Amino acid sequence: MKNIVIGRYIPGNSFLYKIDPRTKIIALIILMVAVFMLRSLIFMLAGLGLIMLLLAIGKISVKRVYLGLRPLMFLLIFTFSFQILFNTQGTQLIDVTLHYTVLTIPLIIALFFFWMYTKKIIRFKLLYFFFIVSLILSVLIFIDVGYTLNQGALTIYSQGLEMAFFIMLRLIIIVTLSTILTLTTKPTDLNLGLESVLKPLKIFRVNTEEIAMILAISLRYIPTLLDEANKIMLAQASRGVDFSEGKLKDKVMQIVSLLVPMFIISFKRSDELANAMEARSFVPGRNRTRLQTLHWSSLDTVALSIAFVALFTSIALRIFV
Amino acid sequence: MGIKFKRVEFKYQGFDEKGYLALSNINLTIKPQGEFITLIGETGSGKTTLVQHMNALLTPTSGEMDILGAIINQETIRKKSVKLNPIRQKVGLVFQFPEYQLFEETVEKDIIFGPKNYGVSETEAIQRAKELIKVVGLNESYLSRSPFNLSGGEKKRVSIAGILAMNPDILILDEPTSGLDPMGRDELLKVFFDIHQRLGKTVIIITHDMNTVFHYAKRVLVMRDSYLVYDGDPMNLFTKKNIEHWNLDIPDILKLTYQIEERLDVTFPTRPRNKEALLEMLKELEA
Repeated sequence: MKNIVIGRYIPGNSFLYKIDPRTKIIALIILMVAVFMLRSLIFMLAGLGLIMLLLAIGKISVKRVYLGLRPLMFLLIFTFSFQILFNTQGTQLIDVTLHYTVLTIPLIIALFFFWMYTKKIIRFKLLYFFFIVSLILSVLIFIDVGYTLNQGALTIYSQGLEMAFFIMLRLIIIVTLSTILTLTTKPTDLNLGLESVLKPLKIFRVNTEEIAMILAISLRYIPTLLDEANKIMLAQASRGVDFSEGKLKDKVMQIVSLLVPMFIISFKRSDELANAMEARSFVPGRNRTRLQTLHWSSLDTVALSIAFVALFTSIALRIFV
Repeated sequence: MGIKFKRVEFKYQGFDEKGYLALSNINLTIKPQGEFITLIGETGSGKTTLVQHMNALLTPTSGEMDILGAIINQETIRKKSVKLNPIRQKVGLVFQFPEYQLFEETVEKDIIFGPKNYGVSETEAIQRAKELIKVVGLNESYLSRSPFNLSGGEKKRVSIAGILAMNPDILILDEPTSGLDPMGRDELLKVFFDIHQRLGKTVIIITHDMNTVFHYAKRVLVMRDSYLVYDGDPMNLFTKKNIEHWNLDIPDILKLTYQIEERLDVTFPTRPRNKEALLEMLKELEA
C-alpha cells in the first residue's frame, strides 16, 4: 500500500525542482504528444534513452520510478502478450507447434499449482513469473510424448514483437514522465501551475480556479487516505478480519468493514477541510492574492525549448522517415 | 509463554531509503496473566507501534517476537508458517480512534462482529453484547442505535465493548480514556482494573495520565525515542528517576504529598499511591 508513488512529492534540489511548474506541465503535454508521434521502435528506444538521461541529470533514482510503474505491471504484461500473440503482420519469426498431450497438460497444471503455492515465498515475484511462463512454454514445445490431444501453433511475427515492445515502451515513457512531474513538484506549486495553464479556458466560462483546487486537494489526499485505509485494516484485523483468506461471503464482509469506515472518515475529513478553509476566509471563485508567485526564468525558456525541439523532431521523423 | 520481545526493531518504510525507526532494541517480557501495565511516553515515542506488535499487526523489521508461543519474525511471516488470526483473538487491541473500526448499522452488530469472526454463535455473541454494553457504562437502549450518531466518548466505549466481546486473554488499550470526561475516565479505568483483578487477565494501557499510572499500575513501561527506557515499579519511577528528562510529570497525589511535607516540615516514611493512603498517613501524623 505504502509503495504507491502516484501523487507523492519527494524533496530534492536538482534542476527539475527549480523549473517553474507551468513549464513542467506544458513540457509534459508536449513530450507526451511527441511520444505519440513516434512511429518505430528504434525512435521509441531513443526516447527511453533520453528519459533515462533526464532522470540521471535530474537526480531521480530509477528505483523510485520503477515503484511508480509497478501497479501498472499487469497492464504492461497484458498489452505485451496481446500484441505478441495476435499481431500477424510482418515476417514470421517463430513458428513452433505446441503439443497438448496427455503428459504435457498435467505437467502444465502441476507447474501452475506449484507457482500458485510457491510464489508467496519467492522474493522476485515478477522474475519468477516469467521463469514459470517460459518453463510452461518449453514444456509445450519440446515435450512431445504420449497421446496427442490437440496441437496448437505458436507463431510470432516480426511486427507483433516490435509492436509489443513499442507499446510497452510508450506506456513506460508516459508514466515515467508524469511520475517525474509529481515527484518533483510540490502539490501547492502543481496547483498554481495548473491554474495558470488552464487560464485560457476562462474565455469559455470554465471556473479554472476551482478545477485546480479540486485536483490539488485530490492529489494531496491520496497518501492521507492510503494511510487511513491502512489503519482501518489494522483495526479490523484486530477484530479477526483476515484479509488474506476467507470465503466469498467473508470477503464481502471484509470489504464492507473497510469501506464503511473509509467513507465515514473521508466525509469527516472533507467536512473538516471545508471548515478549515472557510475559517481562513476561502470563498470559491473569488480572486485570491498569493504568497508565492510563479517566476519565469531562463531555465524555463531552455527547458521549454528543449521540449519543443523534441516535439518538432518527432513530427519531422513522422513526416520524413 | 506470554509476550516476549527479543531485540525487536521496527522501521516504517518511507520514501527516503532510510525509513523511520519507531522501535529500537526492545527486550520485554509480559506475563499472560495477572499483570496490570501502563505504557507511557511522549507522542511519537513508539508506544502505539509497540502495542501493535503485541498482536502481530506489525512484524519486527529485525528481531523476534514470541506471542503466546507463536514465533513472529520476518521469516515466519514471509513463509506464512504462523496463523495470525488466533493471536488477535487472544490478544485484544483497542485502537485509539474508534472511527477506524465502527462500521455496522447498529451498535449491537458492531459489538458482535469480533466474536462472530472467531466462530462464536450469534445468540451467544448478542448475550455478550448485552452484558458488555453495561460494563462499559452505557445501557441496553444503545444496542439498537447507529454507532455513527454517538458522541466521541460513547463511540470509544462501544469500540472497547467490541474488543471485550472477543474475550481476549490479554487486553491492550491504546489511550482508552482520551476524549472522556474525568468521571467517565475513572469509571472505565475501574472496569479495566476489575477485569484484571476478577479474571486475572493481563491488561496493558497506553496513557498520558500519570495519575492513572500511579494509582493502578503494578508495572510501568516508559518509551522514549523508540527505546524502552524504563520497565518497573511506578513508585520507583516517580520518586527516584529524573523523569522531567523523559517529558513526564509527577502524579498529583505525589505533588500534594511533597507540598504537605514542605508546608508542615515533615517527612513521611512512605509515598502514598492514592487519596486513601495519604489520608491514612495524615491521620497517623496527627496521632
